[in-house]
Amino acid sequence: MNSLQRIWVLAQNTYREAIRDKLLYNLLLFAALMIVSSIVLAKLHLGYDERIYRDVGLAAIAMFGAMIAIFVGINLVYREISQKTVHAMLAKPVRRWEFILGKYLGLVSLLVIEIGIMSGFFLAVLVYKGSPWEWAMVWAIGFIFLELALITAVAIFFSSFTTPYLAGMFTVALWIIGHLLADVRDFGLQQGSEGIRPLTEALYWSLPNLDRLDIKAAAADGNAIDAARMAGAALYAVCYSGVLLMGGMLLFQRRDFK
Amino acid sequence: MSVIRASGLKKTFRTGFLMRQVEAVRHVDLDVAKGSIYGFIGPNGAGKTTCIKMLTGLIRPTAGEAWINGLPVSDPDSRRGLGFLPEGTFFHEYLTGAEFLDFHARLLNLPASVRRERIPALLERVGIGHAADLRIRRYSKGMRQRVGLAQTLIGDPDVLILDEPMSGLDPLGRRDVRDLILSLRDDGKTVFVTSHILGDAELICDHVAIILGGRIVSEGCLDELLGKEVAGVEVVVEGISEALFEELRTGATRAVSQGSRFLFEYADEAQAEKAVDTVRSADGRLRSLVPRRRSLEELMVADIEREKERAG
Repeated sequence: MNSLQRIWVLAQNTYREAIRDKLLYNLLLFAALMIVSSIVLAKLHLGYDERIYRDVGLAAIAMFGAMIAIFVGINLVYREISQKTVHAMLAKPVRRWEFILGKYLGLVSLLVIEIGIMSGFFLAVLVYKGSPWEWAMVWAIGFIFLELALITAVAIFFSSFTTPYLAGMFTVALWIIGHLLADVRDFGLQQGSEGIRPLTEALYWSLPNLDRLDIKAAAADGNAIDAARMAGAALYAVCYSGVLLMGGMLLFQRRDFK
Repeated sequence: MSVIRASGLKKTFRTGFLMRQVEAVRHVDLDVAKGSIYGFIGPNGAGKTTCIKMLTGLIRPTAGEAWINGLPVSDPDSRRGLGFLPEGTFFHEYLTGAEFLDFHARLLNLPASVRRERIPALLERVGIGHAADLRIRRYSKGMRQRVGLAQTLIGDPDVLILDEPMSGLDPLGRRDVRDLILSLRDDGKTVFVTSHILGDAELICDHVAIILGGRIVSEGCLDELLGKEVAGVEVVVEGISEALFEELRTGATRAVSQGSRFLFEYADEAQAEKAVDTVRSADGRLRSLVPRRRSLEELMVADIEREKERAG
């Protein structure tokens, strides 16, 4: 019970710190500009208006959401260590795993708000242009949230033991590779080489496969999305995030605060 | 009864690309009695802060063990009755002073009714009640140190570990902090304090340990360490000639001329009294005669020199 209370306090404080960070508002502003720019882009591609509103809107939510998850997330953990605010916290009966979990939950609650705001801009564009709203887009936004929650877990994992620059680089790299893993696997299968194939298979199964969570294209096309596939992908995101968080907690537990 | 105890604490860090080993703390034993003010003194880099971080669970010892209130420091519950003031900046700058204290109080699971009473009272006690709703970003260095002290006291702990609590404070602020520490002892609390301002430590500590090169080289009650006997006598006089100043300085361990005033220090009272008689017979005026016992600074300097000799 005490642990839950402390995690809640840490999450609240993380959220409060994030919403007082100017970087967040700058990124949200750019996201809004990109979503609104879909109106101009649609004029350049006659006949594809609705597809462009949806593609650009969902892409902006995913891309700026990832930037917020990576850069705000890493900064928030790093600042606690570099500015030594973590010292006074951990010199209380606060478990280190509570600190990591509290940070993560604070950031995830920030993602909920931030995705909500960006979705608001997206919806406003659709309403303004009289484009129909479909439930598939709600699912797509839900899966963007799951992807961002996983990316946040990656950022927290790397922040628990390395510098913010390295943590940022590793997280961005995994975000990019995570969307290319199907291609990486196909490359290994096509090569047929015994040396490359085990490597590409290992990468495919061990790194976060973000393509599994990407249903933006299907949602933009208005296609039906298989419920079993969605349930499997959601379970995958939750389990992968959980494993990363536990890894981060173990590494943070062993860390010395000089 | 000891509330802080350590046995054979040691910490080795690996630094640099080649992971060179650096022994920050070689061997530290501690036994801090309940209700005392224990000064942990040493020059920069002696290992004070590393020791404190081992006691507060921020650094894991390479060897040895430590306990707070009978619980090993590896157990987070050992920090239940502990208040810790880290050295330097450790503030969430985006919070106001009151929000900062509320955050730390909630980490200790203090109920809202206690927080509502205690936070304004503590801010008043440390002298920044007027800045409760100001963001810490806008606090001066002294105000930060004060809100840091309030954070230390928010859980009404039995044991306080204060790392350089007087750092960054003006003389008035230092006096306030000294008074606060003394009042905490009067309330029955145990205070473990590091300081490089030896005069302050000498004024408040009952017990002192001097750490050099990661080892404790002197430890004991202040009276035992510094001795009760007179280490020298300072004499301040006025209205004497240059010739008499030169005559008096021959027997003095120290002589300083400052305008019309002259200060002499003699090794014992007999020499000092003889000098006073000489001044009076030459129509000079005695301004003060102060017997002086050995200072903590002298003790530490002697320890440093002894350690240097030992090292080679």
